[in-house]
Amino acid sequence: MQYSDEDKDRRITQLRKGILELAVMGVLYHDRHYGYSLIRVLSESSSISLKEGTIYPILARLDRDGLVRAEWVESDQGPPRKYYGLTSAGRQLFDELSQEFELLISLVQRKWKAPEESAHRKRLFVQKG
Amino acid sequence: MNNYPDVVTKIANDYLARVKSQLRLVPAQEQEEFLREIESHIFEAYQNTPGEDDVARILAVLRKFGEPAEVVADRLPAAMVRSGAKRYLPLHLLSGILIGLFGIPLGFGGVAVLAGVLLTLAAIVAVFYATMGVVFLTGALFLVMGLIRIYEPGVWDKLVTNGFIHFDRPVADFLDQLPPGGQGLLLIVIAAVFVACGLGMLWLGRYLVRGMRFLFNLAFDRVGKVARTVRTKVREGKQELGRTSEALFVKQ
Repeated sequence: MQYSDEDKDRRITQLRKGILELAVMGVLYHDRHYGYSLIRVLSESSSISLKEGTIYPILARLDRDGLVRAEWVESDQGPPRKYYGLTSAGRQLFDELSQEFELLISLVQRKWKAPEESAHRKRLFVQKG
Repeated sequence: MNNYPDVVTKIANDYLARVKSQLRLVPAQEQEEFLREIESHIFEAYQNTPGEDDVARILAVLRKFGEPAEVVADRLPAAMVRSGAKRYLPLHLLSGILIGLFGIPLGFGGVAVLAGVLLTLAAIVAVFYATMGVVFLTGALFLVMGLIRIYEPGVWDKLVTNGFIHFDRPVADFLDQLPPGGQGLLLIVIAAVFVACGLGMLWLGRYLVRGMRFLFNLAFDRVGKVARTVRTKVREGKQELGRTSEALFVKQ
């Protein structure tokens, strides 16, 4: 059965959606950033390819939910920049979410036993019982 | 963004306009702020993008930034709830009724019902235009009759005696009281009334067609959705089948 690239892309987008939001919160936990600098930080620390514009809906959503505080700051190099920083509610939520994320990531990265081995173990278990 | 070359300003503004057009339902102030933020980003990204060719630079920036639809994707639903609901209430009601009508019978049954309803509506449109055609034709006939009565009384008399033109007793009596010119004029006035009715129908038809187009678009959207659901189901079914056979194989 063929699995199309389109489906793969859709799944990747789906996967990224929540996690990217979490990563943005992580970056804004200690530092204040504006959209462009945030993208820079994110793309410097990994080789993930992001459409830069997609950061803004995330920031807007966080702003709407009161998780970040935004502020326009004048810049001497061009137009003013809108800086974001995590609010205390945002910090608290990030702590909780990152714990949840740890649990999930350990599930994904755990080395599951190969099927033959586990069947073997099951048989042993049955004999003992 | 004054130190942009003109062509770059033009391309950037064009892009911002495309983003803006996607943000129609977002409140004006929020819209403006969002655009200002993006503009600021594009400016800075442009400054930091090396290259000789200005156009290539700005295009590279915009390509990395993404399509307007992607940029505003997550903004729309909430904004729609906040500001769109009021403005488009009649439309929402209409679509609510339509979904209520067509949405409940899902699957092929629903599509069949939808097709039936649409066919009926299309037939109504066809009948409407046919009626309009008849009205115009009647108008034209009365006009010709009126002109013949006035300018060719001989031909008129011949038509009447040959039975091509026939009036019932009360109408004939009434017409006979008028002079030939008056009769012709009356016929032309009747023709004008018919033509006016026809034009009125033509004008109304525009709305009818527009409404129909809306319904048809809605319907095709719905049919497409059903088709997609069916396709995924079939695919899942296949996978299920694959899994079952695998399980059988393992048991043996």
